[in-house]
This record gives sequence, structure tokens and C-alpha cells, in this order.
Amino acid sequence: MMDWINVLPKAGYLQEQLKNVLAKILTTGPVPKHIGFVMDGNRRFARKHKIELKEGHNAGFESMAKILEICYECGVESCTVFAFSIENFKRNKFEVDWLMELAKLRFSQMVEQGEICEQFGIKIKVLGDKSLLPIEVLKVLNQAEEITKNNNRAILNVCFPYTARNEITNSIKTIISKKTEVELIDEQLIENNLYTKNQAPLDLLIRTSGVTRLSDFLLWQVVDKNVEIELVDTLWPDLTPLHIIWILIKFSFKKNYSRQRNNYDEDVGSKKVL
Amino acid sequence: MSTKVNGVEPVEVSDPKLLFGTKPVKPSKDLIKSVVDPRIKASSKRAKSEGKSITDRLFFYLFHLILLTIYGFYSIFRSLQYVNNRIRIKFLNLAYNPSKTPQIIRDDVNKLSKLPKRLSAVLNLKPEEEEGGGFYGLLNDASELTTWTLASGISTLSIYEYEGTLKNNVEDLRAAIFKKLRDYFGPTSIPKFVVKIPHLNVQFYGLNHDDDDNYKNDVIDIEVSLLSVEDGKATIVELTKTLAELAKKKEISSKNITVDLIDGELTELVGIEPDLIILFTPTLALQGYPPWHIRLSEFYWEADNEDVTYAIFLRALQKYSTCKINVGK
Repeated sequence: MMDWINVLPKAGYLQEQLKNVLAKILTTGPVPKHIGFVMDGNRRFARKHKIELKEGHNAGFESMAKILEICYECGVESCTVFAFSIENFKRNKFEVDWLMELAKLRFSQMVEQGEICEQFGIKIKVLGDKSLLPIEVLKVLNQAEEITKNNNRAILNVCFPYTARNEITNSIKTIISKKTEVELIDEQLIENNLYTKNQAPLDLLIRTSGVTRLSDFLLWQVVDKNVEIELVDTLWPDLTPLHIIWILIKFSFKKNYSRQRNNYDEDVGSKKVL
Repeated sequence: MSTKVNGVEPVEVSDPKLLFGTKPVKPSKDLIKSVVDPRIKASSKRAKSEGKSITDRLFFYLFHLILLTIYGFYSIFRSLQYVNNRIRIKFLNLAYNPSKTPQIIRDDVNKLSKLPKRLSAVLNLKPEEEEGGGFYGLLNDASELTTWTLASGISTLSIYEYEGTLKNNVEDLRAAIFKKLRDYFGPTSIPKFVVKIPHLNVQFYGLNHDDDDNYKNDVIDIEVSLLSVEDGKATIVELTKTLAELAKKKEISSKNITVDLIDGELTELVGIEPDLIILFTPTLALQGYPPWHIRLSEFYWEADNEDVTYAIFLRALQKYSTCKINVGK
């Protein structure tokens, strides 16, 4: 629809500048510290454009790089992407093998070229039950974690292969295997043993392509009352940085508004006490 | 430092306060020199960083001002959206009305290709002064919802209310459900119902049939379980404690702890995961809903809606009937 814009001279450059300025504007207000992404719609995208499944996944990856870039530019500290669910092993073997190959390729690319990682100082973390992965994929993932481990400006959590129920179970398991005193067990302790430990709490969850369920992603984190859930109808490869900026404006407005209201409530409350 | 510049002896000021008043600004020699002679650039590091932080701050205020302007535009957009949503909801409520007749509900639902087996609803206790608010408003909403669910052929309903107001007033709820069922189905054929509180592991049969074995053994038409925030993360914590105690007594080892084990226990403690969760709230906010139980549940909510109405209920079922769930595929 807006394709004609790209035909204008210097369109790319101007868009880039606009994006940067918008990001700077957004950083002056409340920005989510931790965003979760369910990147849905690669396959539907491929079907819609009559391209191969592989191409759909490729488009998805390109879209991810762009979207992460804008997030980190706006001052987001952690991004968690749902790359592969434990349930995805149920897909046909071709696709699973191919996805594994793709992951291997992407991770080694990210590490070797390291542009986005270096530019933003991103630390890569792989969350999930890594014991389910083939050995050579695991090697590449560990390498990616190792090389970026000293970066400390932002974190990219790659859930691979992950389910939230597995995460919660794993936390309970860890607590019990450590022989923790029963009295010390509380919500905080379970939280401290989740894969997302030591990171800013989740503020925003974005799921694309109009699906209205969570599909076992960050279940523990998402029920928190401060978490905003954004379900958008766009397919993941069609999602642009401008969509994200719009979502961030919405988030910013909402948080700003509720903060003001809370302040007001506190004022009223303290007056009542007096 | 006594070289003459343009024939003028550079001024040496020992106390910067003399020059700049009492404000704690400390001009460096270079800065003063640069004032005296513009050809000499102020090169002190501090002067530079101060200058930078001032422009930074200016930029910050400029950008923040723009952000506030964006807020302004956004709030106009948002108000229009709100009005639009409210009008739409008003029309929907006019269009769909069960008129206390189960047959109408059945006709509406029969058109759908599939129905959820288990339904869950998130209700809010609204302020007393609002229309349909307060405790009695909540009771009315819960009992009405039970009736619609039953009439549409779904036999399991769980109602989540953050504070657990309904749990603490089961007797009132039973009476309310009984009355609503009588209104809809007529006094001679009141369906059988049971109200459960999973957290306390107690059941209440019908209006007053707790000791009536005939009633209990008969086919129960609808089962309503009441959930609150304590059934969420707190229950998972309790389970962890129990498991830790068992592990201490060496009755279980950490190796035995699997997703299936936890799932079994939590199903026992809270119930089975619902297929559809209808949130009768203005936004999709889960308010501490049991996290284990929302794995594949579909959510339905109507933006800016606060009321429990049949239109929302039916639209949720309609939306659900078009959803395709494929685990992992």
C-alpha cells in the first residue's frame, strides 16, 4: 500500500532518520525493559506470497533483526524471542532438520559478523531444554553465548527449544535438587530459578498474526499485573519497525497515564490519613 | 600564563564567586581566556562536558516535549476509539438478547461448528456506585453466566475473580444461581448444578442438596468452580513446598519431577485447563490467573467493555469456533 514511498529518492535514508529520531523521542518516556516476541506467521507469509517455506522463515529472520534493532535503540534491555517450541519437534522431520540447520547458520552468522551484537553490546542467551538439541547445533549455540558473554548493554534471549511449563518445572526441580529449606520457598524463589532469572521483569508481550493464545510462552511472567499483551493481526515478516514504534507509543502513553493516576491516588490517600 | 593577548593582561580570578555570583560555577582559566579573547578556544575538559550535558538536556526536553505532543494526539485518537468501541458494544448488546429463554441461546449456539468443552471467565468486582457494580452486581453476573453456559451446552465453567469474593460468599452465589436457573428454565425443570472451590477442595450441590445422595449421584448439568489469585502462583509455590518435603523424606527425587507430574498435581489442585477464557474486562490483563492453566487457552475480550453481557459471551463462542489449534505445528 505504501510501497510507492520507497521509490522516492533517499527514501531509505529518510526513513532511517525518522526511525532514529522517533526512538530518541520514545526514550524520554517510559519504555518497556523486557519484551517477549512470539514470531508467528512465517509459514502463512510463505503461503500468501507463494514462496517456499524456507523463504518464509528467512523473511521472518530478517524482520526479527530489524525489529530487535529498533527495540534496543529505544532502550529495551531484554528481548525474548520464541524461536522453537519443544512441541515443534512434532513437525515433519524435513522442516525440523531444516530449522535446525537454519538456526546453526544464523547463530554462526550472528557471531561471525557480529554487527548487531557489537553495535548494541548484545549478550545472547539460549533459554530452554538444550538437552533436546542435536550436538552440533548445541555447539554453535554455546559458542554464540560464549563470544557475547561480556556484552552488557542488552540481552537477547533465544528460546530454543522452550515451553513455559518446562521452564516452571525446571525451576521447581532446581529448587528441590538444591535441598532448599521448605520455609524459604516462595514465588520469588521460583522466579529466581526460571530461565529469565536476573533480568528485568517482562513488561510487554507481542504476538503476531492474530492468534489469541500464548502457546506455552512465558506463562509465569505474563500473568503479572504490569504486563501488557499486544496481539497484532500482521504476519511476523510483514511487521515493520513502525509497527513497533506504534506499540511503544501506546505502552508509553498507558504507563505514563497510570503513573499519574497512581500519584494522584497516593495524594488522595495521604490526605485521608491526615 | 602572563602572556599578553592583544596587549591585554589576562585576568586571573582566584575566587570564581567574584565573577559568577554565588552559583557554584567554576570557570577554568581557559574558559576565561576564551571570553577575553575569542580566538582561544575553551578546551578544558569540564567545559566541554558541561556544554555537552547542557545540549543533551536541551535535546532531552525537546524530545520529551515532542513525546508529550504525541501523547496529546494519541489521547485524541484514543478517545475517539473509546467512543467508537462503546457504541459498537451498545449495538451488539441490543442485537443479541437471550430474553431469559434457553431456546434462543441454543439456536444461536447450534450454528457454531465447535464449542469449548471448558469455559472460564474473568470477572471484576466493580465499585458499589457503578451501575451493575458491587457485590450484588458480581453475583448477578456470575449466575447469569452460569445459565448461559448451561444453555449453550457447555458443562464446565470456572469463574476467576481476583480477590475471591464469590468463594467467600458461596451461599449467596448458590441462591443466585438457583434463582437464575428457575427464571430461565422454569420452576419445574431446574437443572442440577454444583459449585466447587478447588482451593478448599469442597463442593456444594444445588441450592441445599449437600446431603442428598440422590441429587449427587444424578447427572449434574453444570459444574462451576471458583478461582482467585490464590489458585495461581501461590498454588504452584504450595506444590513446590509439598514436593520439597517429600524429597526431604526421600519419597521422591528431583529426577521424578516432570511436566506431566506437575500437570497432574495442578489439575488436581486447580482444575483442567480451560479451552476458552472470556475476559469481561476492558483490556487483556490476566490479573494473576493461574499461569499453568493458560497454555493453549484462547482469550476473548472486547476492548473497552466492562460489562458481562450475552453479546460478548456469544461472540466469544463464535470466535472460538473459527480458531484452529495445532500444538507445535
